[in-house]
Amino acid sequence: MLDIRALQMSYGAEPVVENVDLGVAAGEFVSLIGPSGCGKSTLLRAVMGLQKPTAGNIRLDVEKAEIGFLFQDDALLPWRTARDNVALGLRIRGRSKGEARQEAMHWLESVGLGQFGDRYPRELSGGQRKRVAIAQVLALRPKLLLMDEPFASLDAIVRHYLTEDLLSWVEGEDLTVLMVTHDLEEAVAVSDRVVLLGNGPRAHVKGRWEIDLARPRDLLRVKEQPEFATTARQLWDALSEEVRTPTIRQRPELEVVNQ
Amino acid sequence: MNQANLWLQLRRAAALTLVLLAWEGISALGWVDPFYAPPPSAIGGSIAQLFIDGEIYKHLQATFGAALLGLFLGLIGGALLGFIAALIRPVAELLEPVMAMLNAIPRVILAPLFIIWLGIGIASKVALSFILVVVLTFFAVYNGIRDVDTRLVERVKTLGGGPLVLLREVYVPSVVAWVMGSLKVAVGFAFTGAVVGEFVASSRGLGYLLAFAQSTYNAELTFALIVLVLVFVMLLFGLAGALERHLLRWKYR
Repeated sequence: MLDIRALQMSYGAEPVVENVDLGVAAGEFVSLIGPSGCGKSTLLRAVMGLQKPTAGNIRLDVEKAEIGFLFQDDALLPWRTARDNVALGLRIRGRSKGEARQEAMHWLESVGLGQFGDRYPRELSGGQRKRVAIAQVLALRPKLLLMDEPFASLDAIVRHYLTEDLLSWVEGEDLTVLMVTHDLEEAVAVSDRVVLLGNGPRAHVKGRWEIDLARPRDLLRVKEQPEFATTARQLWDALSEEVRTPTIRQRPELEVVNQ
Repeated sequence: MNQANLWLQLRRAAALTLVLLAWEGISALGWVDPFYAPPPSAIGGSIAQLFIDGEIYKHLQATFGAALLGLFLGLIGGALLGFIAALIRPVAELLEPVMAMLNAIPRVILAPLFIIWLGIGIASKVALSFILVVVLTFFAVYNGIRDVDTRLVERVKTLGGGPLVLLREVYVPSVVAWVMGSLKVAVGFAFTGAVVGEFVASSRGLGYLLAFAQSTYNAELTFALIVLVLVFVMLLFGLAGALERHLLRWKYR
């Protein structure tokens, strides 16, 4: 589905990530973790085509239109209602206004926001806005879903239920997912594979863990399994090592855009 | 309007009535010279007389015509220039210092120049209104576009939107929000331009009447005209506010 080879991404002269190989097979759920500022988001933006790589290549088995991108923040259009925000992508794909709105309502219902179609983003809670953003992306029936710390700004309980719902949509729609996160337990709980990116600059892949937990997964139960604990522990150790041995940057004020 | 708001309005109306009554009383007692501070009843009478004579209409028409035309052209011109400058770098490099300079000076000093160029008719008043409004609108739109939320731009791009969709869904609504935010100020500026222009040289308009009242030391007429301008600008403020609440309902609802 997605194959990244020898990827290098730079801001200015110094590469943020370098020599990264990463493959995601169809139907796979892969999480990318790493210390903050290591270039995880940059890598995701490169896959989406929002940023050009300085070296290496990215091969995609899907069209650009078949990729869904969930951002860290809920950047909904503030002047559009929840329904029209969801309908926007459908309108761009050439649906008529009526059709798009009808489909949008269907998707809002499936994320549990059926009665909120006429609300503006300002009138929704953080969790609800996130659900609208998810509906907006799911409505386009993507095959590959890219997520950049999608739930980072939510509180624990909202986050739990949203992750649970997301997992069921991913399993139900048979989506391929590449998710960036710094939450190691979340990564282990939802993924088939976790990839650790080392410290930046010149960050590269430091390790890969296959997560052999059965699907569909119950987010609460899965954490009680011994396999979960072992993998989480290994990841914790590996990540700690990265976080606690900071590399010296050639240019300390290196500007890293953290989207 | 809710109850608390209604009370606030009532209290304000009561306070205003009280001040007017006190003023009227002081005048009646002969504590102030009505030549300098005519009582509210006299000012009211003067306003009524202006309308009864029908003398006022051509002046209102002149001032409103100049102010509204200047406002309209200023908003359109400012929005266009702001848009172009924000999108085309060399245009911004040329335009920004000029606008910044015009923004820094009291633009009414241009009035004599416009009168020399355009005569004492309506054109010089429209020009002064325009120059006051256009600079304000330019900066609202220019900064508005440059400060457009890049997250929104990327969001629309990842949904598959091209430049046209971006313009319609992100840039235009952002600009409308910025322009609406300065619409009330623009209305005030437009009237300033028209009245000051008339004040300097003209043959009709509220500014012309004001200049006439001043030259004849007619405080009563001066007060009457000030009140008239106040009332009309407040009316336009109300309209601008209603338009803003409608267009920006996503912000106010």
